[in-house]
This record gives sequence, structure tokens and C-alpha cells, in this order.
Amino acid sequence: MSNWLPKSAAGRRWLGLAPSYFVIGIFMLVPMVIMGVFSFLEPNPYGGVKPVGSLDAYVKLFFEYDLEDNLVFNPGYLNIILRSFQLSFGATLLCLIFGFPVAYFITLQPENRRNLYIYLITIPFWTNLLIRTFAWIIILGRGGVIETPLLWAGIIEDSLRMMYTDGAIAIGLTYSYLPLMVLPIYASLEKLDFRLLEAASDLYANRFEVMTKVVIPLCKPGIIAGCILVFIPCIGAFIAPNLLGGGKKLMLGSLVQFQFASARNWPFGSALSMLLLSAVVVVLIFYARAAKKREAMEGTA
Amino acid sequence: MSSVPMENTTSPRKSKKALPVGHYRGLASWTVVFFVFLYLPIVVLIFYSFNANRMVMNWGGFGIDWYIKAFQNDDIQSAVWNSLVVATVATVVATAIATVGALVLARGGNFRGKTISLGLITLPLMVPEIVTAVAVLIFFAAIGLNWGLGNVIIAHTTFCIPFAFMPIRARLEGMDTSLEQAARDLYASEWETFRYVTVPLLMPGILAGAMLSFVISMDDFIITLMVGGAGSTTLPVYIYSMIRRGLTPEINAVSTLLLLVSIAIVTAYWIMSRKTET
Amino acid sequence: MTAAIDIRGVTKIYNPGSNQPVKALDDVSLTINDNEFFTLLGPSGCGKTTLLRLIAGFEQVSGGEIMLFDDEIENLEPNRRPVNTVFQHYALFPHMTVAQNVAFGLERLKKPRPEIKATVERVLSLVKMKHLADRRPNQLSGGQQQRVALARALAPSPKVLLLDEPLSALDLKLRQAMREELKQLQKETGITFVFVTHDQEEALAMSDRIAVMSEGEVQQIGGPTDIYEHPLNRFVADFIGDTNFLDGEIVDLNEDLVTCRIGEQSMFEAENSGGHRVGDRVTLFLRPEKIRLSTPDDAVSTESRPGTVANIVYLGNQAAYTVDMGDGVELTAQARPREDGKLPFAVGDSLAVGFSARALRVLAQ
Repeated sequence: MSNWLPKSAAGRRWLGLAPSYFVIGIFMLVPMVIMGVFSFLEPNPYGGVKPVGSLDAYVKLFFEYDLEDNLVFNPGYLNIILRSFQLSFGATLLCLIFGFPVAYFITLQPENRRNLYIYLITIPFWTNLLIRTFAWIIILGRGGVIETPLLWAGIIEDSLRMMYTDGAIAIGLTYSYLPLMVLPIYASLEKLDFRLLEAASDLYANRFEVMTKVVIPLCKPGIIAGCILVFIPCIGAFIAPNLLGGGKKLMLGSLVQFQFASARNWPFGSALSMLLLSAVVVVLIFYARAAKKREAMEGTA
Repeated sequence: MSSVPMENTTSPRKSKKALPVGHYRGLASWTVVFFVFLYLPIVVLIFYSFNANRMVMNWGGFGIDWYIKAFQNDDIQSAVWNSLVVATVATVVATAIATVGALVLARGGNFRGKTISLGLITLPLMVPEIVTAVAVLIFFAAIGLNWGLGNVIIAHTTFCIPFAFMPIRARLEGMDTSLEQAARDLYASEWETFRYVTVPLLMPGILAGAMLSFVISMDDFIITLMVGGAGSTTLPVYIYSMIRRGLTPEINAVSTLLLLVSIAIVTAYWIMSRKTET
Repeated sequence: MTAAIDIRGVTKIYNPGSNQPVKALDDVSLTINDNEFFTLLGPSGCGKTTLLRLIAGFEQVSGGEIMLFDDEIENLEPNRRPVNTVFQHYALFPHMTVAQNVAFGLERLKKPRPEIKATVERVLSLVKMKHLADRRPNQLSGGQQQRVALARALAPSPKVLLLDEPLSALDLKLRQAMREELKQLQKETGITFVFVTHDQEEALAMSDRIAVMSEGEVQQIGGPTDIYEHPLNRFVADFIGDTNFLDGEIVDLNEDLVTCRIGEQSMFEAENSGGHRVGDRVTLFLRPEKIRLSTPDDAVSTESRPGTVANIVYLGNQAAYTVDMGDGVELTAQARPREDGKLPFAVGDSLAVGFSARALRVLAQ
């Protein structure tokens, strides 16, 4: 039956991995390389590129040409990039503050109930993000779920104008990626030996110190993993800034989309994508370094 | 030797019963708030889908008119059809590719390029979606590929591979290799061992991978939006265009249905995985 | 003598109010003296570890009081109690070095830095671990981790040191060496040790006093010889050492001796511990090492009875003989191999089985 299979182990390996290499290589890796090349070309005003080398896309990140064709510093795009980072950091922090106690609470539960909690946390994650973000419009918006009862009770007299603000985007981002924070923290807390907490408390650590000196240091890998898992999709987010920021409060992700869908400046969009990609690479290198250092510190026994 | 301070214990009876070590006050309430935050949008969405009023925000009484309207909408029907076609094809292809890849990476021992292969397969998980979307868009434009829905299917297959791969690989690594050795010992050929031992044992992993791929593909929005042209509108992209046109409870009705499909699939997977565990 | 710990009517029920409440401790009272090596001994599930955890503060009492040098402590959190614990699997903080582990308690007590440094060095040299102060726990062997756990618990100079089966994870040789060291450490520091174990040998070797526990109750408290030679009931006699039990009925008694009928008509005499009457159903107990086995010709004692070897279990330095005494009575006895290594008797051999009436004791049923 298996005569058609290659005899050697190396041959079989190649055969098994070939489809993955082919699909992801051709339709993921090659496109990213092409995108990198595009970022160094000149835009074609009708979409696409002209095959002329140019650094304009990157220059455009910081400068613009004034009426006399002089380069002048333009903080516009830089501001959007900085805001993207700020909002992503903020959302990551919110996820951590919001998610850590929950992950900890779940660890304290009996095992069968733990599975149920984890299931309940993953459910929203598997449902459509666009739809769930859209629901926040109904909640935050003018005459929405939050405002209506407050108006009716006379606590507020005018709309709170919560939509189309950085706050709305931050809530949307936090909401979108919260499960990605809770799950890795839970995974590392689950491995925590609770006798260490007793030992700390036996050695005169109060509740706060048990948390800061033992629990948090020991689940640091989970915390770091959670932060990275949240930060990466935040920095490239499109849906939350687009729906809740109303297109005025741009982030990197929506700026990229804009370059392709409306502005028709593909090289600039590609340059922005390259910037995004390098931010991710930096974060991942930092993570790999931290993991390596921890391994070295804890030694092998 | 007695350098340890002693708590004044004049009225120990009055003190509240201390919590056990490692327990903290307020954790349970915090968790309740957390789940309210997590589920509030879903509940609100479903609730307002039964709004009889034409405006989402103004409650005009209970009604299922918008569901009826959604079912009669031709555009929605074709979007659902497109979504199903894309998700089905992408799932089947991605799961097949991921299965052979996982077999090699979990069972092939240590070989040169293993780490790189793993990195390549999980690449779509690490790159921000918008970057994937843009890169694939540029690629199709550059090579002039214009297969409409075909383009969308190719893109979906690519990013579904790691989602199918992970549960299959996890299952393979949790599997006892001595079972396969036992089969070989009992005179099964290599193929028979694979067919009668490995595949049945691996099936839950393959199913899990397929389910996750299907859900991920059904839910994808940004990549489809960028890659798909006119005529290859999937349901999420259609919902997006509805939102941009103005908020009506019809969006809620369609969204609720899509939501329920996802929840049903994930719940089925969860129940199944719990059964196979015991 | 001052009491270091006074347990007064302590009860512990797990899952109270649920449909399966578990009574781990039932109205336990006992006093542990200052500067004493006190052992809680019993099989798993007897409540000994629960009692230790109640003293440490990891569990809350369901009823009763715990006094520590005349202070009521049962409602204090563990970090408010001046007692320290050596955990069964050491529970060393994996993210800290040995020195950091030992300094942990002192830092929480806000001791001045120079004092912490000096104490850490002193305690580490006390357990002979000073040279490994900068290692991390997972770079240490089991025995070394054990020493660090001891040092960490001793560093804050607790009023009482609690040890939860600390030797159970070590191999035999190391365990025996650590027994001596623990005993020595207790004498040197003058700290009261409360030691939990299920290993009767460990308890007999180290303790000043032992409390034998079973099913949430204290069965007997006393010194090692008391417990071994004068067990109060069948459980204690059975749990500590090997024992022959003979169930029968008292047929006669005088001031010194009771006579019991075992089986159909075998008569055994035993020491009269008082309070017995003719007709009582009783259990006699007899330690195997108190029985002398000899060939019938060599029998010197008039107290010896005939028997037949039914089974032999070879144990190296000795052999355990099951001897059929007739009338359905079997006794286990011990004999050493001869100098040439051969066993003195074989299965089926006739024997003279000798023991004195003073070696037999009557146990309450």
C-alpha cells in the first residue's frame, strides 16, 4: 500500500512538509517580500506602483513637501504611530489589570469548574470580532445602553459623547483581546505550587507580599506571554479604531487599510506595514531573549 | 531566641474568619464584573436584534421582523453562501496540509530545519492580520491573479493552516507511541498501523483543527475585505458594509445568527474534547 | 515545665455544611512542652498533618483553642504566628537563591540588613550549606534542599518549629543520617520541634515524646519506651513494631497474673494490668523479639511450649518464623542466622517456644 512513499526518512519529511512550505511560502512569505520591495517604489496614482525606486514612502512618515518643494517635518503620521503605541500599551495594561485577578480566581476553583470558566472565556474569542465590536456602538453610543438609563434618571443631561474617542478605542481593544491575556496567565498560574504561598505566609509575608514576592515573580512568563499576545494584534488593529474611533482617530492598522482602499498610495501603505512588522519582530525578539535568560537563570536540574 | 513579634490577641473572637492563604477578598466580584464586560456586548446584540423599531437604539417593542427581513435579503443569502464555500474549502485543504505537516514535525524526530519549519507554519499567527491582508493583496495584484472567490479561498487556507496545525500536533505529542509499536509488533504493516492505529487516535485532533479553521475562516473580516473584490463578499464583509450604511436591527439579526453558529461549533468541540479526555 | 503549645479540644471538619463533611480531628487535646522534640505519629489520614497545619495557621479550627506560650493563636493568620514550618517537599522558592530563601522571613520581619546577613550566614553554616548560598533550589540535591528548608525555617528564630514529614522524600541512608542531625539541631537551638511522621522507627529514634494518632483522635501520648512497651490499645500496639495478638477469654486471675484461654484449650498467662474480671474477652499481645526459639532438646525453660515451624521469611540479619502452636494458635518469632549464614530451623521442624508471662500484656478490646 505504501510503496509510493519515499523510502528515506528525509524524503518523507520533505513530502510531508512540502504542502505547508508551498502554501505559506508562496502566499505569505513571498507576498511579504514583495510588500517590502513595493515600499521602495513610487506610487501609481491609479493604484499599484510604478517600477521606479524611491525612498519617498519612508520619508513621508516624517516629512512633507511644502509649496516650494522643500522638505519640512510633518508630525502628523508620527503622531498616529505614537498614538497606536500608546493605545496598544494602554489596552495591554488594562487587559493585565482586568485579566490577572480573573486568571488567579480560576486557579483557585475546583478542576471541573476551571474548565467551564476557561470555556466561557474562550467563547467570545471564537465569535466574530467585527460583530462584537459593533455591539459596543450600541452600548457606548448616543442614546445607547449606558446613556439611556442615566438620561432617564436625570443623572446626566446631555450625551456623554463616549463614541469616537481614544477611550472608546481602548475599551474596544481591551475587550477584543482580553482572553489572550487571561489564558497564558492561567496556564502559568495553574502550574504554581500552592505550598509556596503557604511557605511565604509561614515566613511572615502578608497577603500583599505573598502576591508580589511569590505569585507574580513565578507567573512572570505567563504575564509576558499574555502582554505580547495582546500587544501584537492591538498595534495592527483595524476594526476597533475604525468602528469606535469613527475613522477620525486613526491607528496604524486603519492607516494602512486607508492607503490601499482610498488613498491609493501602495508604497506608503507597504512602508507602514513594514514598520508594523518590525515592531512585532522587536517584541518577539525581546520575548525570546527574556525566555532564554530565564532558562539560564533557573539552571537545569 | 524569641525575636518574633506577637500579634496582640486580646479579642481574637471578634476578628472575621481569616481567608485561607492565597485567597483574596473581592476576587469573585471582580470575576463577575469581568464576565459581564465579556458578555455584555453579546447579550446587547442579541437583545436588540428583536427590536421592532427601524433604529437600533430606539426600542420599539419586541419583534422578529428583522430576522424575516434578513432571510429574504438576496445579498445576505449570497454572502452566507460565499462564506460557507470559502470556509469549507479552506478548512478541508488547510486541515489536510496541517495534518501531514504535524505528522512530520511531531513524529519525524529532530532534524535540521525543524525549528524553521515550525516558525513558518505558525507565521500567520504572529504577523498582524492587516499586514497579511495587504501583502496578499499586493501579491495577487503583482501576479495578476484574479479568481474572485478563489483569491479569498487561497488567503483563508493560508492563515487557517496554523489553527488546524496546533491541536493536531498537540494530540500527536500527547499520544503514546508504544501503541504504534505494539501494532507493528503484532504484524501490522506500516500502512496498516497508520490506518488502524494512528488515524483513529488522531481523529479528535484533526476534528478540533478543522472546527477551529472553520470558525476562524467564517469570522475573518479584514483579510477578506482587502483581498476579495466585488462579487466575493462574505458575511462579515457584508455586515461591515451594512454598518457603514447605517444601523438597523437587521445587522443585529444577521450578527446574532453568525454568533450562534460560532458558539454552537465551539461548544460542540468543547463537549467532544471533554468526552475524549475521560 | 512550661507548655510551648497547648491544644484544647480542637476539632477540624472539612467541607462543613456540604453533604460530605469530613471530620479530620475530633476534640483533640494535648500539651507540648517547651524545648521538647515532640512527634505526631500515625498512618496517613489520621489527622496529624491537619493538626500541624492548624498550628501553622494554614487551616482554621472548627472548634477549640490553640495556645502558644499562653497566647491564643488559632484565629491569627500564618504570618502573624511566631512558628515556622519545614514542608514535606520543602517548598523552596524556585526564583530565589539559597541565601534569598533563608533571608525571606527575616526581610518580612523588617530586620536590619546587617542582621539579616549575619543570621543567614549563621543558619546556613549550622546546616552546613554556606558554600552553596548562591545556588538556586533546582541546582541542589534532595538532601541539600532539605537543609535549606531547615535553615529557612530556623532563620527567624521561631518559638516552635513544625516539621511535616521532612525526611520522607530522602533515600534510606540519608534519612538515617538526618535523624541524628535533626535531634542534634533541636538540642543546640533549644527550639521546640513538632515533628509529623508515619514512620514509627523515625519517631522512636528522635522523639522526647510521641503522640500516636488514629482517625482524628490521639490514641496515646508518652515517651518512646512507654509507647513501645506499654501500648494502651490494640491500634498503638499494632502500629508500632511487629506484634502477636492472641484473642481469648480470662478464665482465672490473681494479683500478678491473669490466665486466658486462647483457642479451644490453650492457656496463656499474662501480667495483670488491673481492672480485669473472669469471663472478660481480651487480647494478649507479645512482641516477636521476646520469644526464644530452640530445638526441643535444648529447651532450658520450663515455660517453653512445643511448636512446629510453619513458614519462614528470610530478612537478612534475621528470619521471621511463623510457628504453629496447635489449637489454631500461631505465633511470629525471630531468630538470627547462625555464624555460617544458615538458618537454625527449617519448615516442619519441631521447636521449643519460650517466653515469660511478663512479656505478655493484656490490651483493652
